[in-house]
Amino acid sequence: MPGIWLLVAIGAATGLVGSLLGLGGGVFLVPLLTLAMGLPIRSAIAASLVSVIATGSASATVNLNRGLVNMRLGLTLEVATTLGGLAGGVTSSLLTQRQLFAAFGATLGVMGLIMMSRASRRNVIPAGEAEPGLFGGRLEEKGTLYVYRLKRLPVALLASLVAGAISGLLGLGGGIVKVPALSAFCGIPIRVATATSTFMIGVTAAASAFLYFGRGDVSLPLTAAVVVGTLPGSLLGAHLSDQVHARSLKILMALVLLLVAVRMLLGAL
Amino acid sequence: MTGLLASGTLLVLGLTTGRVDVLRWGIVLLMLTPVARVVVVTVGLLARGDFLFGLISLWILGVLATTLSFALHL
Repeated sequence: MPGIWLLVAIGAATGLVGSLLGLGGGVFLVPLLTLAMGLPIRSAIAASLVSVIATGSASATVNLNRGLVNMRLGLTLEVATTLGGLAGGVTSSLLTQRQLFAAFGATLGVMGLIMMSRASRRNVIPAGEAEPGLFGGRLEEKGTLYVYRLKRLPVALLASLVAGAISGLLGLGGGIVKVPALSAFCGIPIRVATATSTFMIGVTAAASAFLYFGRGDVSLPLTAAVVVGTLPGSLLGAHLSDQVHARSLKILMALVLLLVAVRMLLGAL
Repeated sequence: MTGLLASGTLLVLGLTTGRVDVLRWGIVLLMLTPVARVVVVTVGLLARGDFLFGLISLWILGVLATTLSFALHL
């Protein structure tokens, strides 16, 4: 097993970036553990899923206190995510790993480009000019109250379905799909999208993590070391997210999407 | 936060002492944290009379319970 402090450091880094962007960190963690450290893919996925639970839980604690989590939206999208998880389990045998990597990589690449092109758009309306609707909400930024409304619910549900499908297959929480979709296409402010995502990715990952744990795929010392780093890293990331400008978060997210897309497409070759 | 602190403590303890049973409990506790959160949310929604989202939350709880049940039988 690789050095324990290295694993703690990796967990801290992935937790920090993950919670800043509403991700679980699995998009970085699985390739790091398999390619850089030579760990078996199932152990890496299992460790990643548990780490995603840690990131989601730690970030959610901070974001719930800030009132950023849109519970109704998160719960509704989680229904689609759980169905996606079931669909993913069925379709996993129909796709080769290369096909999966290629499809995922291409999708993330397109989303990254769209997100970059829309980085300056704001999804908030001054309060008083609109009602939030069933899945919208209110957001306070620098002393000013804003309203946001959910647009294109079918797109949000489709993104959540895909997020669920890839979660169990690749050891991710699904935030890598949900956050850009909600922010770029569905009118949700980036901070609400990340906060709501971190609230729900823990639930998504838990469903798959139980199965990996039951099968004995969770390497206890390795996973423990990663999580010991993830917990403080993700708490720090959640606190820092308040200091970062929304446009900067979107650009960072777009760059991460493009990076992961390139990595996935290379893996498909 | 209590669950996270307890889980983190067990994991640090398990890593420093090399006790695998402590590590196992730390990870199990961590995996149950989202379940506990959904339970709290469900109870809160139903108590507030928000039955639509309470039912949605119950669905999610049902899925988690099902996968947990599968895992226990593996």
